[in-house]
Amino acid sequence: MSVIKVTRRDFIKAQAVSAAATTAGMATTSAAWAQAPGGDGVRWDKGVCRYCGTGCGVLVGTKEGRIVATQGDPDCPVNSGLNCVKGYFLAKIQYGKDRLMKPLLRMKDGKFDKNGEFTAISWDQAFDIMAEKVKATLKNPEQGPFGVSMFGSGQWTIWEGYAANKLMKAGFRSNSIDPNARHCMASAVFGFIRTFGADEPMGVYDDIEHADAFALWGANMAEMHPILWSRITNRRLTAKHVKIHVLSTFGQRSCELADNELIFNPQSDLAIANYICNYIIQNNAVNKDFVAKNVTFHKGVTDIGYGLRPNHPLEQAAGNNGYPGPDGKPKGNPGASTPITFDEFARFVSEYTLDRAHQISGVPKDRLEALAKIYADPKTKVMSTWTMGMNQHTRGTWINNMLYNIHLLVGKISEPGNSPFSLTGQPSACGTAREVGTFAHRLPADMLVANPQHREAAEKIWKVPAGTISDQIGYHAVLQSRMLKDGKIGFYWTSTTNNMQAGPNVNQEIYPGWRNPKAFVVVSDVYPTVSAMSADLILPCAMWMEKEGAFGNAERRGQFWRQQVKAPGEGRSDLWQYIEFSKRFRTDEVWPAALLEKNPQYKGKTLYDVLFANGQVNAFPKEEAAKVNAHAWAGYTNDETEYFGYYVQKGLFEEYRNFGKGKAKDLGEFDHYHRVRGLRWPVINGKETLWRYREGYDPYVKAGEGIKFYGKPDGKATIFALPYQDPPEKPDAEYNLWLCTGRVLEHWHTGSMTRRVPELYKSFPDAVIWINPKDAEKRGIKRNDIVKVATRRGEIELRAETKGRNKVPEGLVFVPFFDEHRLVNRLVLDATCPISKETDFKKNACKVWKV
Amino acid sequence: MNLSSVIVIPRPDRVDRVRSLLSQHPGVEVALVSPEGKIIITIETDGDQETVQTYEAISLMDGVMSASMVYHQKEDDPEVELSVSAPC
Repeated sequence: MSVIKVTRRDFIKAQAVSAAATTAGMATTSAAWAQAPGGDGVRWDKGVCRYCGTGCGVLVGTKEGRIVATQGDPDCPVNSGLNCVKGYFLAKIQYGKDRLMKPLLRMKDGKFDKNGEFTAISWDQAFDIMAEKVKATLKNPEQGPFGVSMFGSGQWTIWEGYAANKLMKAGFRSNSIDPNARHCMASAVFGFIRTFGADEPMGVYDDIEHADAFALWGANMAEMHPILWSRITNRRLTAKHVKIHVLSTFGQRSCELADNELIFNPQSDLAIANYICNYIIQNNAVNKDFVAKNVTFHKGVTDIGYGLRPNHPLEQAAGNNGYPGPDGKPKGNPGASTPITFDEFARFVSEYTLDRAHQISGVPKDRLEALAKIYADPKTKVMSTWTMGMNQHTRGTWINNMLYNIHLLVGKISEPGNSPFSLTGQPSACGTAREVGTFAHRLPADMLVANPQHREAAEKIWKVPAGTISDQIGYHAVLQSRMLKDGKIGFYWTSTTNNMQAGPNVNQEIYPGWRNPKAFVVVSDVYPTVSAMSADLILPCAMWMEKEGAFGNAERRGQFWRQQVKAPGEGRSDLWQYIEFSKRFRTDEVWPAALLEKNPQYKGKTLYDVLFANGQVNAFPKEEAAKVNAHAWAGYTNDETEYFGYYVQKGLFEEYRNFGKGKAKDLGEFDHYHRVRGLRWPVINGKETLWRYREGYDPYVKAGEGIKFYGKPDGKATIFALPYQDPPEKPDAEYNLWLCTGRVLEHWHTGSMTRRVPELYKSFPDAVIWINPKDAEKRGIKRNDIVKVATRRGEIELRAETKGRNKVPEGLVFVPFFDEHRLVNRLVLDATCPISKETDFKKNACKVWKV
Repeated sequence: MNLSSVIVIPRPDRVDRVRSLLSQHPGVEVALVSPEGKIIITIETDGDQETVQTYEAISLMDGVMSASMVYHQKEDDPEVELSVSAPC
């Protein structure tokens, strides 16, 4: 060995090349010395990207208490060292200039005033007024427990969501906790539950390297899941027979690699899906053996409305929307269905001929047929992917069911390459919102508040009295906005999300709701978003590497990271907030007297005693943190562990594991996750599961069983006969264009993080409106003109764009929602899928004119 | 100093041309080329903005099928010397 002198530049360069070479599968002989860690005082540790549901692994470099570098983690199988441009700038997202540092309360004359100025207060004072408002809401007969409401996030870490869920459902006895994942994945969830009886994909990202054909249904993976798109691109380049089909309502970046581009009329995906099933049946391509053994057929009710307010004419006319009828009883159930035979299903889809599909969708016949063929050909392994185009849809649950109809009809499921894969948007919509059950109707591990056995199981694990958890479904996302406006919510706490920008119908529902004097609105965030600016109280938070965290990505992979640096100012993690806040409540203040009479051992206790210092959550002493993480560096600890005096993240996670054990939702051991690049559940004896429901891959399927969709009592998945239906609002004489909303590569969601990274901001500073050149010309609009776009709900001004990455067809315009100064969600109707309650952000009728 | 590495995959029939274009681009150094034609470059700039512009220019270059970022580090004192052990 010899000692040589190199400059820092040389060292870093060698490290950069070495990292890239490893990722590219290339050997490098030069600069072997650069592979030695820590040569320049940087401490590297594994982490997860803060952004999308792909869940790329990143290595995070910390020096002198600051994140200074990141790189794609070559050891993470998700991305093998690759980064997209957002992930590239992860080192900067914590350091925006306007980071929130202190709790801020609107005050006038030294007191809280909804019209006052934001004034810095202490955490103690913040919890004082929050506790006062919660207690007042609980006692208010107009509001009650469900009037205490939380809007959480698929960007919460797993234990944050778990602590919040517990505090709300077992502590305040309110089921009005719902995540922003309601806006993005609810239709996917209800689709899974309806078809399979269990949530989340049965395949994994490995399917990419096995598929012969890809079909993207309303997903722009090139911009929104770029690393998965890199893997698909790589597959396409290395296996020459592979074909990519892209279905979209407008031409987008993913179409550049498409072998078959299908631009379809909004909503007509319903017709296309039925046509494909019809094609399969007509061409004798049904996998009869598979269907006979593993599938049942049902016909869904259709008269289900559009999730609008009950007094809307469309809802009054709907017979099965579940809303109270004139007699006060619910009008049917939008998710209901009746059993039918295969022949009846075949007859049902037979009207979706090629001609009819073409007529409804506008897609050329040869392209429709080419798409149908990949599903029908038994030798072609097909991976279908989708995200918001299918989920943010007034018939979102239906179209999810119908995608599964196709794969089930031909038996292309639960094996490498044959994969209907619902892509997740947020980094932990799966791991936190869905698996922990932070929804108004849910408990952890796919359980339901409406089910007495499920409530009993939860109460046992949580060690709270029988009857603590309410059996009523709480207020979901869109309903929360309506209830705020109507004065039924007295306390509203939202975190790690920006609903004033991201939710629908801001002018008519969200904004008046938050400003209602009957509501006290608390926003926990890291930067002054429009939501924070509309709140009564702002709480400064720790973000990403400032806390120990865990996310669960789209392929069921849970990944953990350690706390690397401290939060600035008085920022505290959401976890700390929920646990510390629970100390402000005694059981007699939040639980009915009758419950305490029956269970006197809970009298005189605080919610902290009951929910957190319960012998389980506080089971692991402080020192355990250093022990569990000794392989990373000596003496590891985190802020919450130091504050509360026990390894709280481990305690919460190990308690939470009890929900999924033995239920095919098994999570691995806490310690194990800290040592590896994630684990895909079910994890049995430390071993992850890749393909679910199939013998040989899934430990829950016994030898000889072949395929078992064990989420359903009879082990069979359900194919649903469901029709094409129009959306509630279509272009007309006055509002003569479709308005579709969505995203761009450079900005994550509402841009609260990415717009504070100067480079990302400059690469795409302001939202624009993409409009077809012919539509522009008809309206006297030239590229770069300032125009107004309006729906019946509001209007905004934007620059017109007729070129670039998106090519919209005549009759449709597209506006991204990342720009808080051009709040397109003011224009969006709050219509939802009546089953999933997810808003349709993709279809509104608008008009555009030159300013 | 801002330093990153990028994997560039050129069209198989354009490897040499892309390699030449890359090495002429300001701030870009070609570090490695694999037998199949994958090219690893480093981009050195004074700031992230320049890095992003360089990266985007490369992504749009004629003959480039994909360009993926891998590594990124900032360094305020790039000329400082370090002593490292190297294998003989």
